[in-house]
Amino acid sequence: MEATPAPAIEVRNLTKTYREANALDSVSLSLEANRIYGLLGRNGAGKTTLMSILSGQGFPTGGQVLIHGKDPYENDGTLARICFIRESQRYPDDFNARQAFRAAALFFANWDQELAERLIEDFALPTKRRIKKLSRGQLSAVGVIIGMAARAEITVFDEPYLGLDAVARQIFYDRLVEDYSLHPRTIVLSSHLIDEIANLLEHVVVIDKGRIILDEDADSLRGSAFAVTGNQEKVAAFIEGRRVLHRDSLGSLASVTIQARLGATERAMAAELGLEISPVPLQQLVVRTTMAAQTEPRGDHYQEALK
Amino acid sequence: MNRVVKVARMQLINKWSFLGIPMVILVASTLMTFAIWALLPASAREGTLYSGSGQAVMWYFLALGIQSLTFTFPFSQAMSVSRRTFYLGTLGLFATIAMGYAILYYLLGLVEKATGGWGFNGQLFALGWIAGNNAAIQILFYFVAMVLLFMIGFWAATVYMRWKATGLLIAGIGFAVVLLGLVALATLNDAWPQVGAWFAAMQVLGLSIVLGGLCVLLAGGSYLTLRRATT
Repeated sequence: MEATPAPAIEVRNLTKTYREANALDSVSLSLEANRIYGLLGRNGAGKTTLMSILSGQGFPTGGQVLIHGKDPYENDGTLARICFIRESQRYPDDFNARQAFRAAALFFANWDQELAERLIEDFALPTKRRIKKLSRGQLSAVGVIIGMAARAEITVFDEPYLGLDAVARQIFYDRLVEDYSLHPRTIVLSSHLIDEIANLLEHVVVIDKGRIILDEDADSLRGSAFAVTGNQEKVAAFIEGRRVLHRDSLGSLASVTIQARLGATERAMAAELGLEISPVPLQQLVVRTTMAAQTEPRGDHYQEALK
Repeated sequence: MNRVVKVARMQLINKWSFLGIPMVILVASTLMTFAIWALLPASAREGTLYSGSGQAVMWYFLALGIQSLTFTFPFSQAMSVSRRTFYLGTLGLFATIAMGYAILYYLLGLVEKATGGWGFNGQLFALGWIAGNNAAIQILFYFVAMVLLFMIGFWAATVYMRWKATGLLIAGIGFAVVLLGLVALATLNDAWPQVGAWFAAMQVLGLSIVLGGLCVLLAGGSYLTLRRATT
């Protein structure tokens, strides 16, 4: 008997090689059930490749994906628990949104038609027009509605906001949180609009050039780096021996982003030196980490520093 | 409900592709043939009038084979349907429809004979060569012909989905090379008379079995291709 249930998603040494490049390079991850994960990274970092393999739509070159302990590939029982709508999802040419939703209702056991109707209204989606003729934003809305109303145990959104205006995006975030609190499930959200979704995320995974460079609880991550601003020399003294993610200077003023957990003593010391300590927004943190990782061959260093 | 059946239901959400269009083609092509026969001058109406318009629906099934894969397979992936289930549901649905049309063709052939060739002494469904056989063989022949055309379209579409234009090009060239090889074989061995005799002796049942074998090959090939296809 197993002491703990298998994680919702487990990825072991996953590798995917295309002709010219490594899309995924020995990726290992373990995602728990009923949390919201952010899969962040630049374009071409491997986000979509990873998501399509873990939903059984793509194949790895090496390694393994387990969904609740089972390989999803060609496994209908496991697939039925997953919903993954691609950013570039194609629909039957002659379908309108209403027909796509009718199909989704057939396949997803937890499909909630009421929620779908409400979202159709929220997004002002024309349901009788052919999907082929919809705008980019409306097309994204079709995917978002399927992903949310399907209420699949594992729901994967691939940059779901493309073409949605700011109001529609906010509606999506609000509805997602609302529905998630009523019906907890495992949600993986890929994005590069990091600040917009920062408050939603409970766990952050950053991928760059096919490698995981950050895999961290969002709360713990928020306290893992700080910007120290003040007199250049005093800043230099304060940050001595710490890992620097980024450096800005203007005249005698310096602002340095360091990676460290600061205790009360250190904060008091900074105050004495006349230095200002400010938290780093998640987006900054991800950008700095990604850029720092590019100058270091592996991201392990950062992972180590976090512990 | 079984997911294979759900795939069939998904293919039928838009009823035109599988149900509406074939019926419209059948009715329209038949009525047009009648109209043409009616317009013929009396001098041209002597003897039996033949028409091949019964084939029209069959050629649509070739297009339907392509369409049922290219339109619906990527969407079925988003519906979390395995490739195997998509394949079984789609082929199962088409086989059912093809069986329906095969029986309908046979029945229309009976009507044709009973009405003296629709009153025109015409042959449209009960083509002499086929209609001389018993019901089972006639239905089998129509069924196999329809499934074969559908499978050619479906298989070509899976090859395109997996290997794009390069794949289709190679498959096309490969097919031509095999054909050419057979022709060369017959020519070099001076075997054309035998080949001719073999074709002449072929009965509807024999032809159905040969075409049925081709269907099975294409169906197997489609499945193996689709298993590793990504959208």
